[in-house]
Amino acid sequence: MTRPKALVLTGYGLNCDMETAYAFEQAGAEAQRVHINALIDGSVSLDPFQIMAFIGGFSWGDDHGAGVVQAVRMKTKIGDRLLRFIEQGNLVIGICNGFQCLVNLGLLPGLDGDYTRRSVALTYNDCGNFRDDWVFLAKEKQSPCVFTKGIDRIELPIRHGEGKFFTDPHTFSQLQAQRQIVLRYALPDGGAAKGAFPFNPNGSLDDVAGICDPTGRVFGLMPHPEAYNHWTNHPDWTRLKEEIQRGKSAPPEDVTPGVRMFKNAVDYLVG
Amino acid sequence: MPSRIEITLKPEMLDAEGLALSRKARDYFGIEVDSVRTVHLLTIDADLTEAQCERVRSDVFTNPVTQISSLRPLAVEADWIIWVGFRPGVRDNAGATAVEAMEDLLGITFGPREAAYTSKRYCLKGPRLCRPEVEKIASELLANDIIQQWMIFDAKDWDPAQGVGFIIPKVKLDHTPTVSVLSIDSDETLQRLSVERNLALNPNDIPIIRNYFLNPAVKAQRKAVGLDEPTDVELEYISQARSDHCNHNTFRGLFNYADLSSGERDTINSLFKTCIEAPTLALKEKKSWVVSVLWDNAGVGRFDDDTYYTITGETHNSPSNMEAYGGAITGIVGIYRDPMGTGLGSRLIMGSYGFCVGHRDYDGDLKPHLHPRRLLDGVIEGVRDGGNKSGIPTPCGQVLFDDGYMGKCLVYVTALGIMPARVKGAPSEQKTILPGDLVVMCGGRVGKDGIHGVTASSETFSEHTPAGHVQIGDPYTQKKMQDFLLEARDEGLIRFITDNGGGGLSSSIGESARFSNGCRIELEKVPLKYDGLDQWEIWVSESQERMTVAIAPENEARFFQLSTQHAVESTVIGRYTDTGKLHITYNGTPCAYVDLDLLTAGFPQWVFDAEWRSPEERGLFEPVIGEPQDHKQLLLDMLARPNICSKAWISRQYDHEVQGTSVIKPLVGVGRDVNSDAAVLRPVLGSRRGLAFSQALLPFYSRIDAYHMTACTIDEAVRRLIAVGGDPEHIGGVDNFCWPTIQYDPVKNPDGRFKAAQLVRSCRALRDMCLAYEIPLLSGKDSMYVDGHLAGRYGETHKVSALESLQFSASSVIADIERCVALDPKLAGDRVYVIGWTGDELGGSEYYDLFEAVGCNVPQVDPAAFLKSYRALHRAIQEQLVASVHGVYRGGLGVHLALTAMAGGIGLEVDLAAVPVRTPLRSDRLLYSESAGRFIVTVASERREAFESLFQGLPVACVGQVTASPVLNIRRGGEPVLELTLPALKKAWQSTFGDLI
Repeated sequence: MTRPKALVLTGYGLNCDMETAYAFEQAGAEAQRVHINALIDGSVSLDPFQIMAFIGGFSWGDDHGAGVVQAVRMKTKIGDRLLRFIEQGNLVIGICNGFQCLVNLGLLPGLDGDYTRRSVALTYNDCGNFRDDWVFLAKEKQSPCVFTKGIDRIELPIRHGEGKFFTDPHTFSQLQAQRQIVLRYALPDGGAAKGAFPFNPNGSLDDVAGICDPTGRVFGLMPHPEAYNHWTNHPDWTRLKEEIQRGKSAPPEDVTPGVRMFKNAVDYLVG
Repeated sequence: MPSRIEITLKPEMLDAEGLALSRKARDYFGIEVDSVRTVHLLTIDADLTEAQCERVRSDVFTNPVTQISSLRPLAVEADWIIWVGFRPGVRDNAGATAVEAMEDLLGITFGPREAAYTSKRYCLKGPRLCRPEVEKIASELLANDIIQQWMIFDAKDWDPAQGVGFIIPKVKLDHTPTVSVLSIDSDETLQRLSVERNLALNPNDIPIIRNYFLNPAVKAQRKAVGLDEPTDVELEYISQARSDHCNHNTFRGLFNYADLSSGERDTINSLFKTCIEAPTLALKEKKSWVVSVLWDNAGVGRFDDDTYYTITGETHNSPSNMEAYGGAITGIVGIYRDPMGTGLGSRLIMGSYGFCVGHRDYDGDLKPHLHPRRLLDGVIEGVRDGGNKSGIPTPCGQVLFDDGYMGKCLVYVTALGIMPARVKGAPSEQKTILPGDLVVMCGGRVGKDGIHGVTASSETFSEHTPAGHVQIGDPYTQKKMQDFLLEARDEGLIRFITDNGGGGLSSSIGESARFSNGCRIELEKVPLKYDGLDQWEIWVSESQERMTVAIAPENEARFFQLSTQHAVESTVIGRYTDTGKLHITYNGTPCAYVDLDLLTAGFPQWVFDAEWRSPEERGLFEPVIGEPQDHKQLLLDMLARPNICSKAWISRQYDHEVQGTSVIKPLVGVGRDVNSDAAVLRPVLGSRRGLAFSQALLPFYSRIDAYHMTACTIDEAVRRLIAVGGDPEHIGGVDNFCWPTIQYDPVKNPDGRFKAAQLVRSCRALRDMCLAYEIPLLSGKDSMYVDGHLAGRYGETHKVSALESLQFSASSVIADIERCVALDPKLAGDRVYVIGWTGDELGGSEYYDLFEAVGCNVPQVDPAAFLKSYRALHRAIQEQLVASVHGVYRGGLGVHLALTAMAGGIGLEVDLAAVPVRTPLRSDRLLYSESAGRFIVTVASERREAFESLFQGLPVACVGQVTASPVLNIRRGGEPVLELTLPALKKAWQSTFGDLI
C-alpha cells in the first residue's frame, strides 16, 4: 500500500497544524493541511483520506465552550460525511481542542453505535486556569485504541484551560466496561494520580486523559503527542544527553513516543 | 425583540471561576464569601423566533453533560447578585462568535444592526455580606468601569422573572459624518484649535504647517480638488505622523549634554542616528547574517539559507495601566502584526513579555487607578489569552516589582517570526508598491477604538457612548487573518504588507504610499463597526486586527477568493498612485490632498537639555553594613524576595509548547520549576538548527547610572544566550526603552534634565556594548512619559516616575540544538566552576535593596575581556565538555548557586575562597555582589583538563563539586558559611507566591 493520507484540519483559530502534519509525515503518512471551509465547500474531498486529525488550538476563540462552535459548524454542514468517514473504517484522532470538538460532535465516545450524542464533557480545569505542563500517562492495557498500541506509559505535554473530563456514572461505567478509557494521568512511577494536582492537572474524573470509541478507531486526548516530535521536546532531554554521553542511559529511539501514536495509525492502515 | 439565554453549570459541578472569585475576595480584601456560582448571559438583539432561540440554546450554548440553561432567568440561590457586562463599543469577542454559531446552525444571516452580547452574573452566598463589600468585589475584582458596566442586586430586590432585564450595549451615534475645515489665519488660532480638538500638534510645528497650506502653489492645487484651508482629516494625519510615537522625536532630538561633575559637554544630534543606526549599519557590513534592519516593521536575520527570522518588540504601557487585561492582550496581539507585516509577511514563532508593576502587597497611601495586584493579574491574563489563542508559544518573560511603576506600569511585548528567504523566487525581505496597485484593508472593522488614546478617558460616559479608547484584542480574528495572509503570500499575491497599529490607516497608508509616491483613498469603502464615524475618525482609528496590503490588480480575484475561504473580511479602499499626493475622498467629498513629502520638509527638531551629576555628587554613598552572622536566614530571605522568588505560576499559564518547537523551556531542571537562562526553539521542524532568545531587564542600576544599567542589561542578555549554547558570532539585539519624561519644566518636571542625561548615557552604553559585542540592533522601540500622578491620603497628588528602564532582547542561531545545555547539574561528583571575576560591586544590588540601601559601586561591564570567556565557554559547549551552565544574575552567586542546586535536585559543595577575585572580599560580598560577566558551570571530572585548557589565562576556577546529598553547603576555606537543604531553599523561594496557580 502507498502512504496513507492524513487530513489535518485548519482554520478558525486552530493552530497545531504544522506540527501535527509533521508528526504524520514522520510516521510515514502523507499529511495535507485542509481548511474547514475547503471541506465544507467541497473543494477538498474526504474520500482520498484514511486519517482525519482534529487538531489543537482555539477554534472560535474557545468561546461558548471549547470545541463547541466548531462542532456546530461541522455537524450542520458536513455531519453526514464525517459519519460516513468513520463507517468506512477510517481513523480519527482529536487532540486537545480536537478532542473537545469530537465530544461535542458526539463522535466520541460513540456508545451503542450512536456517533451523534454528547454524553461526555471536557470542562474548565479545577485549578481555575490554563496550564502548560508535561504529564505522566498510563494506558489501559486492554484498550482497543489503534493509536496507543504497544504503549504502556508515556509522557506528553498538556496545554489547556478546559480539559477536565466529566460524565454521568452510567456512561462512565460503560466506558470502563468497554475499555474505552485509553489514557489516565498518572504519577511519575506510573501509579494512579487519583486526582492529585499537578499530576492530574485538571481534576478529570478518574484521571481520564483520553478515550476512544468502541472500535478503537476514533481517539481523543487532551495531551499533545504531536508536540513530542523530537527527543529535545522532552523536558529532561539535556539530562538524558549527559547520561548517554557517560554511558548511563541508552540513546533515544528514532521515533519519539509522541510520534509513535501517529505511526501506530499508519501501521494499522498499512497492515 | 431581544432574547436572552442564561447558562450555568449543573449544581453538582465545581465552579472554578466562582471559587477563584471567593478566594480572591478573601485573600485580597478579607471578605468572606461562602460560595459563588457564575451564570453566563447571552443577549440576542435580533429577530429570532422562540423556536430558533430554543434551538441555539440547546444545540450551541448548553453542554448537556455539565450545564443547565433557560430562556428565562435561572433560579440560582444567592444573597447578592452582581451583573457585569461590556460598555457599548467594547469588543465582545464571545458575542461575535455566538453570532457565527447561530448563523451556522439556523442558516440565517444577522443584519448589520443585529448582534449578540455576552455578560455574566455572579450569585454570591454569604449571609453576612454587606453592600459595600459586594460593591468592592464588583468594582475591584470583577469590573473595570472603563470597559464594563455592572449592577448589584440583593436577594430582596431581585425579580426572578425579570432577572437583570435586557441590556443592549449597542453603539448609537446620531451623527452625520462631517469633514470640518480648520482656520489657519494665525499660529494662535491653529494652536487653539489643536488644543480644542485634541490634535496635540507641537507648537513648534504650527508655523511649518501654516506655511505649507498658505503656499500659493499648494493653494492652487488644493482649489482644483475642492479644498482650501486644511481639513480635520489632514491635520489629524499630520498630527499622527509627527507624534513622538510614530516619529520618535525624542530619539531624533538634539541633546545638549553637560556632565556637571567632570565639565564634559557634548551636543548629540539624534540619539537614534548616533547610537542605534550608525553602529547597526557598521555591523551589518560585517555580519552577513543581517538581512534587513532599520526600516521595516521588524528586523530580519538569516536562520539558514532558505529561511529568515524576524524580530521586534514594543510596549503597551498606558492602555494596560487603565485596563490591564485589554491593554496587555491588545499589546501582545498587536506586536504579532509587526512580523506579519515584515517583508512579504512572516509566520509567528514565539512571543515574550516583561511586566513592571508596583509591589503586589502595596498598602501605602497612593491610589493608582488599578492596585498593582489587580493590574498584574490583568496583564498576565491579557498576554496569556493573546498568546495562547494565537497559537504562538510564550517561552520567556520577566516580572519586576518596584513602586516607581505605580505611576504607570510597563508591559513589554516581543515577537519573532520566520519566513522563507524567497517567495516565488523573489527576496522575501524586499517589497515595493507600483502605481495602480490596490489598497486593501484586511481583518477587523473600524470603530472609535483607540482614537486619541487616553485623552478620551476624561470624556463623560453616556449609556451609548463607545468606550473605544481602551481596546480588547481579538486573537481569533487575527489568527484567521494570519492563516489567510500566509497562503496569499505563498501564492505570490502580496506586493506589500504592513500592519495597522498606532495611527491606524493614517500611518499604514501614509507610510506605504511613499513606496509608489501617492495614493487615492475612498474612505466610504472602509467597513465600519457602526455608523456615524467622522471621516477623520475612520482615518486615524486604531481598531485592531487589521493589515494594509498592496496587491496587483490582476491578483484581486484570487486574493479575495482566499479571503472568503478563510472567513476574513478584506476590502479594496483605494489605489496607490505616483502623484506625490495623499488624496482622500468620502463619497466624492474631498477630505485630504497633501504632499507626501510634507512630513520630511523641515519640521523643527526637538531640543533637550541634559545635565549629569555623578552618583557621589548626588549624595549616594556606599552603605556601612557589617558582616552578617546568620548566612542561612539571609540566603532564605534573599530567595523569597519578590524580584528573586519563583513566578512559575505565570510561566505555566503560557503555552510554551505549541508549534512543537520547544528545546529549552522556560522552566527546567529535575522539578521543571527553575527559570532557564534563555529559550531555544527549533522553528523549522525538520532541521536541527535552533533559535535562541533571551531578555534582560535591570532597571535598579538606574538609581546609580543608566549607563551601567544599560551595559549590565545587555551583558546579561548576551550571557543568557551564551549559557544555553548561543553563538557569540551571531547576536541580534532589540532595544526597548521606557523612560520618564525628560523635557525639563521647573514646576512639572524639575529633574527632567537629569532624566535626559540618563537617556543620553543609556544610549551611549547601548552604542558601546553593541559595537563591542557586535550586536546589530535588529529592531527597537521607545516609550517615553512613564510617569503618573497618584492621589494621596489627603486628596493631594504625587508624581510618580518609573525607573529608567531598558528591556534588551537578544537572538542567536544555534547550528545544532543537540549541543544546547540547561542550568541543572546532572551527576554527583561533577566539578563546579565559576567563570568571571567577582568584585565589590553591590551598588544597586538586591542585597543592598534588602537593607533599603543603594550604594555607588554599580557593576561594570568590560566587554572585550568578558568576550574571551564567552567564546571559550561557547567552545566548551560545542565540544560538549560541560554538563550545565547558568549565568550569575540579580542576587549574585548566593542566589544563583541556590537556583543551580534546586534545578539539579542535587547538592553542591562550594568553597568561596576559590571564587576568582582580584582583591579579597568578605563572604556576604562574594555571595551577593552582582558583578557582570559570570557563570556557574558543572563539568564531569574526566573532562576537567579539556575544559580548563580552553580557559588559559582567563578568570575561571573550580570552586567545588556536585554531591549526592541534597544540600547546598558553602564554606570559606575551612570555615562553614551556610548549609541548607534543597527543600528548605525551595520552600523559601516558592513560598512568596506559592499558592498562586
